[in-house]
Amino acid sequence: MNRYVSGRFGQALLVLWAAFTVSFILLQVLPGDAILIKFQNPDMGLSPAQIADMRAAYGADVPLVQQYLHTLGNFLRGDLGYSIQAGVPVTELLSSNFPPTLRLALMGFALAAVVAFALAFTSSLLHFGWLKNLLQSVPSLFISIPTFWLGIALIQFFSFHLRWIPVINPGEWVGLILPVVTLAVPISAPLAQILIRSIDQVQTQPFVAVARAKGASRSGVLWRHVARNALLPVLTIAGLLFGELIAGALITETVFGLNGLGQLTQQAVNNQDVAVLQAIVVISAAAFVGINLLVDLLYPLLDPRLKANASKNSKGATA
Amino acid sequence: MHILRRRNAVTRALALGVLITSSYAVFAADSTPVQGGTLVYLEQQAHTNLYPPAGGFYPNGGILNQITDKLTYQNPKTLEVEPWIAESWSFNADKTEYTFKLRPGVTFSDGTPLDANAVAKNFDTYGLGNKERHLPVSEVINNYDHSEVVDPLTVKFYFKKSSPGFLQGTATIGSGLVSLSTLDRNFDALGDATHIIGSGPFVVSKETLGREVDLTARKDYNWGPKNLKQQGRANLDVIKVIVTGEDSVRIGALLAGQADFIRQVQAYDEKQAKDQNFPIYAAPTKGVNDSISFRPDNALVSDLKVRQALLHATNSKQVVETLFSPNYPQATSVIAKTAAGYVDLSNKLTYDPTLSKKLLDEAGWKPGPNGLRQKDGKTLSLTIYESLPQPQNKEVLQLISQQWNQVGAKLNILAGDAGSRVADNLDPEKTPANVVEVGRADPDVIKSSFYPTNRDALLQKGGLSSKVKSFRDDKLNDLLVAISAEVDPKKRLALAGDVQNYLLDQAYVIPIFEEPQVYAGAPYFKGVSFEAVGRPSFYAAWLEKH
Repeated sequence: MNRYVSGRFGQALLVLWAAFTVSFILLQVLPGDAILIKFQNPDMGLSPAQIADMRAAYGADVPLVQQYLHTLGNFLRGDLGYSIQAGVPVTELLSSNFPPTLRLALMGFALAAVVAFALAFTSSLLHFGWLKNLLQSVPSLFISIPTFWLGIALIQFFSFHLRWIPVINPGEWVGLILPVVTLAVPISAPLAQILIRSIDQVQTQPFVAVARAKGASRSGVLWRHVARNALLPVLTIAGLLFGELIAGALITETVFGLNGLGQLTQQAVNNQDVAVLQAIVVISAAAFVGINLLVDLLYPLLDPRLKANASKNSKGATA
Repeated sequence: MHILRRRNAVTRALALGVLITSSYAVFAADSTPVQGGTLVYLEQQAHTNLYPPAGGFYPNGGILNQITDKLTYQNPKTLEVEPWIAESWSFNADKTEYTFKLRPGVTFSDGTPLDANAVAKNFDTYGLGNKERHLPVSEVINNYDHSEVVDPLTVKFYFKKSSPGFLQGTATIGSGLVSLSTLDRNFDALGDATHIIGSGPFVVSKETLGREVDLTARKDYNWGPKNLKQQGRANLDVIKVIVTGEDSVRIGALLAGQADFIRQVQAYDEKQAKDQNFPIYAAPTKGVNDSISFRPDNALVSDLKVRQALLHATNSKQVVETLFSPNYPQATSVIAKTAAGYVDLSNKLTYDPTLSKKLLDEAGWKPGPNGLRQKDGKTLSLTIYESLPQPQNKEVLQLISQQWNQVGAKLNILAGDAGSRVADNLDPEKTPANVVEVGRADPDVIKSSFYPTNRDALLQKGGLSSKVKSFRDDKLNDLLVAISAEVDPKKRLALAGDVQNYLLDQAYVIPIFEEPQVYAGAPYFKGVSFEAVGRPSFYAAWLEKH
């Protein structure tokens, strides 16, 4: 088991290094660079000689291998460099943008989970065909609502029309209500769909029939037996949901004018702010790897059948 | 804008041409200003680096204009240069030496004195750059050589060549004065607004990166521009500059009473503000109009007749009527009516599809099977990148593309990422056309836009791009240099007129509309003014009890 865990950790580190390297190469291959974008900007009105001076001053013409080793070394020391566009250290940008995104994402995810569970469980407990169908079609509806439109619609209605919740200068928690709802809707849809499907599947299993035959009620079986088994497929898509969360956060932050990683990413992409993008890629990869690692380590605890395999599979398992 | 201690006829004529679209006369206090209160100001984008010469970016200028003072003040109505931190000034006949006498008792917000030594260090940095600190040269200062501190309140500047634009240059956003400790920082550390120490009426008190900058009034501020009605400290206590990227949220928040003043109101949102009696302020940027410029190095547009044909195929009247409001006047020359040295050349900018087709026929471009004109196997199809800072630029280009289609020419509009845009815009083969616009209330603005070693809008050989094969127009360049070096103000304005004529005779550029900066405010928000190129000043602004 310990070898299984340490093997998984080794793989996680390898993935992180690969993410760093690939993103470094890709960002170098793109046309133009942050220095060009910053100083070639007509607003600066610099002459070619002056631009060349700035490039030299920034070491933009140092051989790539040297730049790579330099950046990697700095990363390992915790120095993520400067944002050329914003003119502040990347660590400062991250420290002011990471916590709000984390809060938004966690709360959005929590709300999405509540909505998805409520949808899935009520719809599987219902006998009535039409209501059941109605509830089961809600996820498809949620998936097809564009996030930016939902955000703007919520602001227009709750903030400008009813004037319940200000969007400008709201209190710390009040200001999160609308963004969290906006983010939760698209996340809850795939969650609910998977849950509904897997509940349906689990309910056809023989042990459910046995439990029912022993006299357990529908909801009792659902809570005690089906729920735990239906959770496994949901865990599997946790990584995918994380991607959805980041994308949703980007749009939500832009619409609501919240500062956060999403908005930071958008600006960094626009300006090819390599140092910022590099840090964001590595952080996202770390989160992704972290989530999958957690899922891999949790699986055997949730599903006793996997325990035996886990110790067998500790070599050569795939990440 | 230009350098005169007395008004002259030309400037006076200019002053008459100034349009103030809002019914709220700038500086006219409707009643006695109230002191105190917090202004919530919504910005469209977060500021970037706040090194003053990088202040051309609207969000940067909006902050720098509140926290820094300038040596001189350019009256936005008359474009005259008036005293501010400098009480008086003088220069020699060929404008290679300028001497400024400073106002005593001015301090930066860190307590250090704003004296001759500080001013000298500021302009040494802006005029020469600082390689070690990565600080680039300022666009508005030409031919700078060195400074001399004559006494604690007298500073003298020396130039390699005549620099008639320098006096106006000292009044621009890019010449905001900052403390020695600010100039001692690396360029990379100037994105943190709290690092910018100025002597202005407001001080940065708090910043949430990418989201909000809070400005607090300096209680001891007592050195505003001499000729303003407002004296002493600013009226407002606090300004919260909050970044709100979404257009509909900014206007909605203003109308719902959650904000007091917003920047960048889209033309289609103006009506809902007006209907509820929220004033719209359209501040002109007084420079080179929003235009399409050609890169004649590209064979498609190397022929004058083709450029003329495309100019006459462009219906700028339709563009402003379809997409904009009256706050966006149709262009009648290369520069705006409110700009220094403007001449009306609307007779050269006529929309005339018949003439356009005739010119294309003469140039040998014949209609092909798909309706587009062809010559020697090539199709008359031009590529252009949309310009993000310009209002509704994509829609503008799409409409022009439709207009060009009528005469058999095509305009492909690319969005592209920033890197590709910058790189491709340096290659005339990839982008035979591009979008230009510069705001500066001095004839030097034309040189800024078109001179090869400035913004190089036409991409000439020996300019910004190494990809240009042969195109160079030395007649144009000589005219541009002459503007920046002519010491007689009257002659300088005449030269500016010559350049406008020449650019349009050569059909190097198709002016479309005069770009304003459009703001909207709450009815109880008074006294806001705009400097010469449309950046807001909140020094005299105040909030009525409501």
